[in-house]
Amino acid sequence: MSSEPIERRVSYLGDRLRASRCKICGKEYFEVRDYCGNCGRKSFGKMASADLFYEKGKLELCTLVNEPTNKFMKLESYVYGVISFHNGKIRVPGRLTDQIVNGQETIDLSSLEGREVIPRFRRRYQVGRNEVVPTISLAFTLADEYYPHQEYAVVQPTKEYDLPGIVGYGFYTSRFRIKEGKLERSVPFIDEDAVTAAVEAGKLTLIHSGVDSSLVGKVYVGSESNPYAVKPISSKVAQVLKLGEEDGDVQAVDAVDTEFACKAASSMFKDAAALVNYPNSGVKYAMVVGADNSQAAPRGCPGGELDMFVGYGGSAFLFGKYDVIAEIEGWYSCTSDTPDFWRRDGEPFPMHGGRFTGDPAYFKHVRKATTQLMERLNLQVGDVDYFVTHQPNPQFPVKVAKQLGFKDEQYAVSLQVNNFGNTYSGCSPLGLAAVLDVAKPEERVLITSYGSGAGSDAYMLRTTSQLVDKRQRQKLNVKFQAENPFVKYVDYTTYRRLKLGM
Amino acid sequence: MQNRPAIVAVGRTKFGEHYGKEPEKLIEEAWLAASRECNLERRDLEACYLSDCFLPITNKLGLEEGFLSELTELHVPMEVTRSVSAALLTACHAIQAGAYNTVLVGGIEKMTDRWDKIRDDLMLLEDPWSYYAGGTPEANHELMLRAYIKKYGVTGENLDQLNLALAEVAVKNHAQALKNEYAQFQRKITVEHVLSAREAAHRPLGLYDFAPISDGASALILTNEDTAKKLADKPVYVLSCASATDYLNFPTRDDLTHFAATRIAMKNASKMAGKTPQDMSIVEVYDQSTVMELVSMEDMGFCEPGTAWKSIRGNCESYEGHYEVNGRKLFVNKNGGLKADGNPLGATGGAQIFEIFRQLRGEAGERQIPEPATTGCALEFEGFGTKAYVSIFGRDDDE
Repeated sequence: MSSEPIERRVSYLGDRLRASRCKICGKEYFEVRDYCGNCGRKSFGKMASADLFYEKGKLELCTLVNEPTNKFMKLESYVYGVISFHNGKIRVPGRLTDQIVNGQETIDLSSLEGREVIPRFRRRYQVGRNEVVPTISLAFTLADEYYPHQEYAVVQPTKEYDLPGIVGYGFYTSRFRIKEGKLERSVPFIDEDAVTAAVEAGKLTLIHSGVDSSLVGKVYVGSESNPYAVKPISSKVAQVLKLGEEDGDVQAVDAVDTEFACKAASSMFKDAAALVNYPNSGVKYAMVVGADNSQAAPRGCPGGELDMFVGYGGSAFLFGKYDVIAEIEGWYSCTSDTPDFWRRDGEPFPMHGGRFTGDPAYFKHVRKATTQLMERLNLQVGDVDYFVTHQPNPQFPVKVAKQLGFKDEQYAVSLQVNNFGNTYSGCSPLGLAAVLDVAKPEERVLITSYGSGAGSDAYMLRTTSQLVDKRQRQKLNVKFQAENPFVKYVDYTTYRRLKLGM
Repeated sequence: MQNRPAIVAVGRTKFGEHYGKEPEKLIEEAWLAASRECNLERRDLEACYLSDCFLPITNKLGLEEGFLSELTELHVPMEVTRSVSAALLTACHAIQAGAYNTVLVGGIEKMTDRWDKIRDDLMLLEDPWSYYAGGTPEANHELMLRAYIKKYGVTGENLDQLNLALAEVAVKNHAQALKNEYAQFQRKITVEHVLSAREAAHRPLGLYDFAPISDGASALILTNEDTAKKLADKPVYVLSCASATDYLNFPTRDDLTHFAATRIAMKNASKMAGKTPQDMSIVEVYDQSTVMELVSMEDMGFCEPGTAWKSIRGNCESYEGHYEVNGRKLFVNKNGGLKADGNPLGATGGAQIFEIFRQLRGEAGERQIPEPATTGCALEFEGFGTKAYVSIFGRDDDE
C-alpha cells in the first residue's frame, strides 16, 4: 500500500470488520453504508452499525494458496476462502492463520469447509520497512482449535468499591511454542507482533470484564517491541477495540504508549487506578496493556543469550471502581539509572550487561520495592497469599522470592516463564493474570515488576468475591493456553523465521 | 440494432511475450493489418476507441490517446476504455447516433513488462478486499469451482467426470491454437498434462487450467452500414452489444457459482439482436480458467445450470473445437481461447472478434467451422465477472 490515507481507510473497516444492517429489509453489508442498496433513499438514517469483530463465522469455501501474491510471500502457503457470518447474510474473503501449511501437500478442502472460524487481528501482509504496517481482521482461526469463541456481553455493574482496582484482565499469546529442555516459550505466528498481541489482549479483557468499551477513557500500552519508533500502539488498540465513545471516525479516549523495558505496563497500574478515582474525571475505566514480541539477537551473536528465554504475548488489565475483582491497597516504586539492558534506536536487538543485570539491577530493585511496600502497609511475608515478580529467566524470580522469604506455594502459581518465556512488558502482568485465574476472594497478591534501566513497581492487591463470579467469562485463561492441546511446537529455525515476522 | 454498425476489417498481433516491442509498436501492427485489409487510409478515421486494462500501471503510460495520435498523426476524438468490448460498445453507439461513419476500435496490453508484480496488480484491481485477505488471481476460480461442486452436489464418479471435462476444455483450446498462427501456445497438450499439473500444484486447478499473462494488440475497423458496403464484400454486422455489472468483491455476490453479469448481458444482447443461444454457430467465451468456460456455457444459456460438464465431457474427444449441446455442435473458442491464444486483457476482446469475423466470412482456414456459420457471439469480462460484455455478430445473408 503506497497511500497512507488508503491504508487508514482499509484498516478502519478491516481491522474491526465493520458492517452495516438495513433496519428495513435486514440486508447486511461488510462495510459502513449510509443506505441500503435494496431499499434506496428511504433507508437513509435507518442503517444500523454492526461489526463482526466478536462474532463466529463459518468457512464456506476454501482453497490452498501456495503461490501467494508478492506481499503474502512470507506466509508461504495458507488456506484462503469465503467466510460467512449471520447465517450467510454477510460473506467476506479471509485466510486461515496460525497454520504452518506445507504447500507441497494436498489438503482435504472439504474437511475444512463448513467449520466455524473466529476473526483474528493480524498483520495483513509484508511492506517495506519505511511503510505503515498494514493490519486486518480478515485472518481467521478455527473455532475448535487453539482459541475458542467467546462472546462479548456487556454486563451492568452492581457494586461501587471504595478503592479502585482491577475489573477485568486477559492474557493473549500465540498458538506456537518452542520447547528446549523444560522451558517452553511462545512463538508468534509470522503475522503477529506486539501490536496484534496488544489488541487481542485488550479484546480478551473487555470480554472478561463485561465493560462497555465506550466507557474506557484511557488506554496505556507498554511495549519495547513496537514495530514503529514513532507511532503509538495504543491508537490502534483504541481504534480497533472502539475504546471511548465513537464520535465520527475518532474515539473519545486518551491513548498513550509507555516504555520502561519490562515494567512499561505495570508502572501504569497506579496511574490508571488514580485516574478512575479522580472525581469527575469522566474516565470510568482505564486499560493498561503490556505486549511484546520479545526481541533477542540470534544465538552466537552479541546479546544472543537472551534468545534462550524470550517469549511472545500480551497482558491487559482494566481498572475501575465498579465490580472490582482486586482492589489496590497500595504501591511503592523505585528507580535508579542502571543501564543493565538497552536497545539503541535503529538497532533490531537489545544488549545486556551480563552479570551486571543480576545483583545491582534486578535483585536490588525488586527487593527494595517489595520490602518497602510491605513495610509501608505494615504487612509481613506471611500476610501475602501470592507473590508475583518479573521473570527474565526461570532462576531469577525463584531466587529473589526466596531471598525475600516467600515460600514455594506463594510464588509457584505466578511462575509462567517456563510456559511462555519472558514476555517483556507483558511478563509480570502475565504472572498476575495466572494468580487471578486461581485466587480466592479476600486474598492478598503482591506484584513487583522490574524494568531494566532500572526500576520496580510493587503493588498490593486484595481480591474480592467478584473475582470468582467473573471467572467463567474467560475460557482463554493462562492455564488454558499453557495446556492447550492445539499448541504447535516448532524447531529453532522456524522459531526465528516466525519471530522475525513479515 | 438500428443503423447497423459493421466490421469491415480486423487485425491483430501474435499474443505472447513481446519484450522487444513498445506498446505503440503492437497497436501499430494490429492497426496496419486491419487498414490494409479494407484498404483504408488513416485519414479516413473519424475517431478511435482504444482499450487497455492497465497500461498506466504496467508501462507508466497515462494518456494512451496521445501516443496513438503521434502514431497516426491524427487529431480526431479518441477515448480509452478497459476492454475491446467496451470500446466496441461505445463505438457502436457513436456510429448508430450518426456521429461518425468510420472509426478504429483497438486494444492493447503489455503485461510481461511487469512480470514480477503483475499478480499483485491484477488481484488488487480486480478485487481489493480479497487481495487484502490473501487472495490470488487463481483462488477465485478455485473457490467458484468449490461452490459449483457443492451447489450441484457433484460427488464421486461425477466429480471425476467434471474434473476430466475441465481438463478437456484446456486440451480442446490448445488443440485449436495449433491452427492459429497468432496464438501464444501452439502446442498440443493432453488430459494427463492438465491432471498432473493440478497434482503438482496441490490445488483444484493447475497451470493448464489458467490463461497466461500476455502482450498483444488487436484492432478492427467499424463503420456504418453504407460505408461498410463500399469498403468490404462481406462485412460482419454487430447485431447487438450489451453489458452488465456485478460487485467487485466476489465473496459478497449472491451467487458464487455463476456470473450474474453474464446472464444479464446475454439476455439483453439476445433480445436486442433477436437471436437465441440456439442461433449461434460459434461462441468465444472468456476462459481465464477452464471453470470460467464451463460456467459461462451455462450463464449464456447454452447449457442448463449444473450440466455443462456433461455436455463438455466426452463430446470433444476429437478436439475439433465443438461441444455437443442440445443435440447440435456448438463451436467454442475456435482460436484456442484465452487459455491458448493468450490473454492480453485490453486486447483479448479484439482477438475474440477477430475469430468470429474470420469464421463468419469463411476465412478461418484450417479452423473454419462448417456452414451455416451465420451468427456468433463473444463474451468478455473485466475483472472476475465484475463486468460482462456480450456482443452478437451476424452476416448479411442471415438477415
